[in-house]
Amino acid sequence: MIECKGLKKTFQSENGAFEVVKNIDLKVKENEFLVLFGPGQCGKTTILNMIAGLETPSEGIVTVNGKEVHEPGPERGVVYQTISLFPWLTVMGNVEYGPKVRGIPKEKRRATAQHYIDMVGLQGFEKSFPVQLSGGMKQRAGIARAYANNPIVMLMDEPFGALDAQTRYLMQKELERIWEQEKRTVVFVTNNIEEAVYLADRIVVLANRPTQVKAEYKINLPRPRNYVDPEFLRLRMEITDAVDKTL
Amino acid sequence: MKRVKKSNYAWLSVLSVGSVIAIWWLVTDGLHLVSTVAMPSPVKVVQTFFVKLYDPAPDGSTLLENIGSSLQVALSGYFLGLIIRIPLGILMAWYKKVDMFVRPLFDLLRPVPGLAWITVMITLFGIGMLSKAMVIFLSAFVACVVNSYSGIRQTKQVHLWVGQTFGASNLQLLLHIAIPTSLPMIMTGARVALGASWMALVAAEMIASDSGLGFMIQQCRGLYRTDVIIVGMIAIGALGALLTYLLSLLEHLVVKGRSSSK
Amino acid sequence: MIKSQKEKIQRVLAGLFSIGAFLALWQWAVVSTTLGQLMPGPITVITSFIQAFSVPIGTCTIQQHVGWSLSRVMIAYLVAAVVGIGLGVLMGWNPKIEAIFKPLYDIIRPIPPIAWIPLSIVWFGLGEMTKYFLIFLSAFSNITLNAYEGAKSVDPVLMGASRMLGANRTQTLLTVVLPASMPFIFAGLQVAISTSWATVVAAEMVRSTEGVGWVIVSAQDTNDMNQTLVGILAIGIVGFILATIMRGVETRLCKWNKSE
Repeated sequence: MIECKGLKKTFQSENGAFEVVKNIDLKVKENEFLVLFGPGQCGKTTILNMIAGLETPSEGIVTVNGKEVHEPGPERGVVYQTISLFPWLTVMGNVEYGPKVRGIPKEKRRATAQHYIDMVGLQGFEKSFPVQLSGGMKQRAGIARAYANNPIVMLMDEPFGALDAQTRYLMQKELERIWEQEKRTVVFVTNNIEEAVYLADRIVVLANRPTQVKAEYKINLPRPRNYVDPEFLRLRMEITDAVDKTL
Repeated sequence: MKRVKKSNYAWLSVLSVGSVIAIWWLVTDGLHLVSTVAMPSPVKVVQTFFVKLYDPAPDGSTLLENIGSSLQVALSGYFLGLIIRIPLGILMAWYKKVDMFVRPLFDLLRPVPGLAWITVMITLFGIGMLSKAMVIFLSAFVACVVNSYSGIRQTKQVHLWVGQTFGASNLQLLLHIAIPTSLPMIMTGARVALGASWMALVAAEMIASDSGLGFMIQQCRGLYRTDVIIVGMIAIGALGALLTYLLSLLEHLVVKGRSSSK
Repeated sequence: MIKSQKEKIQRVLAGLFSIGAFLALWQWAVVSTTLGQLMPGPITVITSFIQAFSVPIGTCTIQQHVGWSLSRVMIAYLVAAVVGIGLGVLMGWNPKIEAIFKPLYDIIRPIPPIAWIPLSIVWFGLGEMTKYFLIFLSAFSNITLNAYEGAKSVDPVLMGASRMLGANRTQTLLTVVLPASMPFIFAGLQVAISTSWATVVAAEMVRSTEGVGWVIVSAQDTNDMNQTLVGILAIGIVGFILATIMRGVETRLCKWNKSE
């Protein structure tokens, strides 16, 4: 349902043009959890931004459900790595922001927002400001906020990258639970191999600048997954080796 | 958000400034909509500028003499003040005892604009450079002290600990760690103080002086020479901007190579 | 900074001590040296200050003078705030608007409001309009600059988030850019209230028939230093109250910024 054909992105800088993304072809099935995996700084974020509509490709097109993507919109929810909650709004204010600007009446949007706040495990914190929340809680709020707009696609850009190790494991499990509860198509960017193998239906391994597809792995392990399952560890080693070779 | 190159809009800026000047000219010289006494045309202002450079009329000094007089007083008052204000801010931030005693007085004096003291200064010191210099000193006082104070306060605790493990004395910590860290903020304070000094001087000259740019424009009001007034205003603005610009260049030299350590 | 109780008490004591010492020194100097010929001592000043609440200086009592000055400030300040915030935020948000208005602003800005006094008297006469104009200029300059910088420094991630969530351009401006700039705007508002107060004093000192600035300047004709100091005292107190109010408002409105 998401299709990227021949995606290219070139940036202008003082040293001339440099190609960040080179010829990406991707297809994502409905309700599939796709992970874009690769070492840092290799254009994964740019690809995600192009799918989101936050950046326009220099060449190639992105279509979601057949419609070409030009601009960001609520049907493609984005969860960022950096904190993007509006600091002057409470958790409730943030989560109901999307429905509010689209004119949905108060009763309905409150109910929707509350549903998702509960779903991500933040019940009781509706009136808190982002500055009072921990890193993990902020990301939960970000997820709820994206979900509240009933998106077809969830795009997540290393959302757990800034969290400490414990919280990161916890959030991976939480995300898995949330996703099973309300399935959406997900494109998830990470540079952490454990995270990738834990969450993905399919992993697309991207090589360094210019970014291109190097390999694809289907993960058929049953959910919820076990970090120390032998098959998990084998896949993890295989993919790590593959990536090391491309560096 | 589309990334449009800056040059795309430069033409808009030029157009905007140009049309304001054009309207100005139209309203005055072109269509005579406004009496030229109230608002001289841009052409007249330029003419007067060149004339006034060397013509002492109507206030008694040429433009250059006025500029010189103002600059002289402003800068001497400013530099004299720096020598007192910056150390005071530093001491207040570093030595708690000093802060406890000085701060209440400082807070009390703070809301009073420096200009208000001018009559006091004149009574104490008579009309002349000293009273103006005192007014400048007081006006720039707040900015300088506050910035020096904040600058020292910003010194990272970690850096101080490093110094202490090397056995530095309190004074050495102050001189070698705290002051260098606060230098950017001190420079900013000095720059703001310069602006405040310049403004205070102009105001003081308007009230109690017989030379200088402030005096010049005040005199010309009585004589309805709005062209000279505007020349004076532009001169005041331009000089103020120039002084702050020069100081900000100095600031850059000091701050060079430092990332903002907030 | 967490101050222990003991430290707080120490501070208050030290403050009382230093103010007291200053006043005592002043009083002593007036009584024992030639300073007494030039200046009155603190006791005289405070007595006159209290008297001024009932005995008019010129045509008004001291609180009426304060009232005049404050009313001038309030009106011009509010107008400047509305216009300044509006223009500043628009300039910071839209590059076209920035290209049109910023150069004009940059040219006008270096000219201190004080320098406008003669011209504005020519234009508006000696009445209230002159003073409103001057106060407006001084407040407007600061507020616009701060609103501009605030709008410009809004995190692009926040703006991207709002578009992602479905807001159109106007909604983004009102619901994201404006709140995000609030800390900057408030800093500007605080500076502007101080400069407005200083400007009204200056304007009144140059040309006025009432107001705290006039109180100071008219004392020169009668060589009444006492009156001047009463005026200065009034200016200081009101200025202090204004600044404290602004700080209080900021603390309440910008709660969400506090842990930064």
